[in-house]
Amino acid sequence: METVLSVLEEVAARPLAYARQWKEATGRKVIGLFPMHFPGELAHAAGGLPIILQEDDEPITIGQSNVFNFYCGYNRSIIDQALRGEFAVLDAILFGDHCVQLLGTADVIRANVPQLPILFNQLCSILDAEWAMRETQGTFRRLWHELEVLIGHPIDEGRVRESIRLFNRNRSLIRQLYDLRRAGRISLTGRQMQAVVKSSMVMDKAEHCALLEQLMAQLKARPPAPGVRVFLSGHLCHAPKLAVLDLVEECGGIVVDDDLYHGFRFIFADIDETAPPVDALAEWYLSRSKKVPCPTRAVKDLDWEDYLLKAVQASGAQGLIVLLAKFCEPHMYFYPEIKAAFEKRGIPHLMIETEHEEMPIEALKTRLETFMEIARRRAAA
Amino acid sequence: MMQHIATQGPSASPIFGNGERANRLKSTKFGGRLVNDYWDNLFSAREQGKMVVWYNGTYIPPFFHAHDLAWVHGEAWSAYLAAKHGEIPAQKAGEQWGYDRELCSYARTHIGQALIDLQKLNDGTLGIAPDDPRAETMRKLPAPDMIINAYPYCSSGQQWDDITYRLFGKKVPMFTISIPLLWGGRTDAGYLRGDEWNERSRYVADQLMAMTRFIEEHSGRKYDFDRLSEVMSYVKRAAELRLEAMDLCTTTPSPASFFDWIVSIAPVNFLPGDQNLVTYFEGVKAEIQQRIASGEGAVKDEKYRLFFDGMMNWNKVGWLADKFAAVNACVVAGRYTHMSFWQEPQLIDLKDPVLGMAQNYLICPNNHGAPIMIGEIEKICEKFNVNGMVMHASRTCRGMTNSQFLIADSAKRNGRQALFFEGDVADESFYKDELLNTRLEAMIESMDAQRRAA
Repeated sequence: METVLSVLEEVAARPLAYARQWKEATGRKVIGLFPMHFPGELAHAAGGLPIILQEDDEPITIGQSNVFNFYCGYNRSIIDQALRGEFAVLDAILFGDHCVQLLGTADVIRANVPQLPILFNQLCSILDAEWAMRETQGTFRRLWHELEVLIGHPIDEGRVRESIRLFNRNRSLIRQLYDLRRAGRISLTGRQMQAVVKSSMVMDKAEHCALLEQLMAQLKARPPAPGVRVFLSGHLCHAPKLAVLDLVEECGGIVVDDDLYHGFRFIFADIDETAPPVDALAEWYLSRSKKVPCPTRAVKDLDWEDYLLKAVQASGAQGLIVLLAKFCEPHMYFYPEIKAAFEKRGIPHLMIETEHEEMPIEALKTRLETFMEIARRRAAA
Repeated sequence: MMQHIATQGPSASPIFGNGERANRLKSTKFGGRLVNDYWDNLFSAREQGKMVVWYNGTYIPPFFHAHDLAWVHGEAWSAYLAAKHGEIPAQKAGEQWGYDRELCSYARTHIGQALIDLQKLNDGTLGIAPDDPRAETMRKLPAPDMIINAYPYCSSGQQWDDITYRLFGKKVPMFTISIPLLWGGRTDAGYLRGDEWNERSRYVADQLMAMTRFIEEHSGRKYDFDRLSEVMSYVKRAAELRLEAMDLCTTTPSPASFFDWIVSIAPVNFLPGDQNLVTYFEGVKAEIQQRIASGEGAVKDEKYRLFFDGMMNWNKVGWLADKFAAVNACVVAGRYTHMSFWQEPQLIDLKDPVLGMAQNYLICPNNHGAPIMIGEIEKICEKFNVNGMVMHASRTCRGMTNSQFLIADSAKRNGRQALFFEGDVADESFYKDELLNTRLEAMIESMDAQRRAA
């Protein structure tokens, strides 16, 4: 088990190194994807390796010349990596998200790395609009065609179905880990769980599935040590710092569930394997944010706080930790409602604003210890 | 009212520059009256039996005007409060609710004000002293009967309205229009052309038609497209006059400045589409022609011609106008003023205006990918013989700060100086006057050196 996890951790820590090795070994194209809603299945069916571009841990240096310091860490890091030449391994970037900062980031990359094709297919962000299905299907049809032009050959519908099946298999395996962890039967740490999901965003899916199957076989039922059961929420686009996840556990917390992008949000929804692929992809996209709300999408009948209240209850968590990446504007809008809902119901919650650089870990430790103490007392009361 | 109060702020620091003040157009005062009338009408909308729409984003009021609805533009309301220096209570209310000050200051001012209004409804108080003159304005804003969002490009707009919808208990009908970015990545892409342009134009037009059905449904009245054409006839004529008047400012010295166009935004952005708009821009154009005839400039002894990039700092309109005048610099054009607001009126067919309206919404200055947007900025700089660029990094407006480094790079490639200063649309605390003073002085020196070398 430790060996499998160490492989996943290595890929998660150095995703571009993995992509370079894969490209060298296969001679095929590596396609970068921007988070959070764009499917990798089409790029995979085209014979490429879709990798979700990740924030790295390097301090922003050269990128500072092209992005303001009031942009989120993910965007600043992506620009910095592009300007440092880290994306030389990529043959294209696909994106279609609706975060205003990400759109600016794509433009900076286009200007500074002009040889790198960027395919933009903007997803309809109003999920309950009467035109949402038609527009989303059109988006994926256009993407399909543009990928064929990029790759230089047609993409067979059968191959897309195979990719969908493989990706579903991968998601299903990760969900099994989530189910076991939620049920208290295994004790994967926050760090380990992130490695599982983040490596899935990068690695060849067949290889990743094989590793997950090994991991499942080796996993022993081992309930976690006693502690305060917590639910992690937020942190869109990029992975929370491992030091923050470690600290939650060092302070007496046990993470039992989450809605992080580098977590449950990434793997909870499958794509219909029987429907025509474009229809299936569109349905997947339109329905997923209705199940796990995303603040970058607009859906009238769905509230993040209601979802969180139910999810926290279902997981048996004793408290909620909201991880808010500094300058993440969509998330900022919805935090007050979450705060109000949890306060109203007397469920302990803590908001931690995270930064790309200079996370004040010692100050955070005090806050987390206090939070755990409050959660313990409330649980005992 | 918004513009006139905005221009009544303190003058630029007396130790800065030569003490000259901006020579503002007199004709824009009529706009102040129109803005006053607009807010007065809005505040009495209920008494007039009108339904009220709260909307955010692009200039869709003609759709409301044609249907006899009253409308509140979220950004205009926040700018109005900021220009009256009345934004603080609203922003405090937003902060108490849990908003971070890095959030769009338009949104947190507007939402904060809604929170105050809701509090007022709940317990009969405003949260500020009842005799405070600001209270009078704040208690007047009528609550929405409908919410419509039509934001180009920005990922903050629809969230903002989503929150408004939730604050009012999800009981107010809401309609959201998606105005997608024109990325311009396909081989046929260009300004107003290409497959993406045609596709997206139709997409937005279809949504606008759906919006008229939404309005019909929630007002119980059939939508009158003939009336829309009539309203648009005034808007189109006003837009043509505005562009003609702007073109006259290629003259040296420039008879009007960016700041005159800033105070002229309300008439093309959210005021009712009637003869007053045409009269306003006829007046502005006539005054500009008269100034050209007499050689009068917007800035005394104009020596430098600048381009202003970024969203306006509504707390500082008059302040900034005087600051540039004090160094004999005329800000002759800007992205916010010269690249949006019915910028291509010829696209509007008055017999069937919706497609052309959609197209004008799509060409909002930050709704193009950088290459096309920067190409258009360069054309304006050439046309107006610009020497330098002033980049306002509006702290909480990522929609306008995106690509600003690329814009500055293009300026430098074209032999123009560029400076950055930080501020914000409606949060004064982000503006640092001395930073702008120092950078502006340095840019002036560089432009002088450049001229000497030439």
